[in-house]
Amino acid sequence: MIALSLVGLGLAFVYVGTLGVLRFRDIYSRLQASGVSDNAGLGLVLIGLVVSGGWERHDAALLLLLFLLLITNPIATHSIARSAFVRRHAGEAGDR
Amino acid sequence: MPVVEGLLCGSILLLLLRLWRGPTAWDRLLAYNSASNRAVLVLAVASIALDEPVFLDVAITYAALSFLGVVVLSRFLEREGGFR
Repeated sequence: MIALSLVGLGLAFVYVGTLGVLRFRDIYSRLQASGVSDNAGLGLVLIGLVVSGGWERHDAALLLLLFLLLITNPIATHSIARSAFVRRHAGEAGDR
Repeated sequence: MPVVEGLLCGSILLLLLRLWRGPTAWDRLLAYNSASNRAVLVLAVASIALDEPVFLDVAITYAALSFLGVVVLSRFLEREGGFR
């Protein structure tokens, strides 16, 4: 029951992020919607999966996957945001 | 659990809409990053539901490779799409 509610809450976060990516106006708003709610959704769904079956052998792999995603996802979001920012300002400055 | 996988795949399909008509390349990159996160989640849920621990290794490898792809593509776009 706890596991199912955690997974359901994570799915709600995932859909909020998808809605934000679809409906927001510019790239930074979309990055904020995706980058924030994806982390929450991923964490909640994976913790719900860990809780669902008790402690088993593959739960270490689930926690490793969660750790990896919590490290890499903000880096990827920051990299996309920095790339968009640098390119936009290179275009606006008119130096090329 | 099939309901969870179906909902995640529906979210991937909605993100493909942004991937299709993103105004800039960064919107497409963002949609790809987000969709690959959801694909990792689908793999993890399927691994628990079907009781196949091998899918988790596939999910970890896919997460690492998609992160590498996103970072390399954004660095590539930052340098105006050329090799310098």
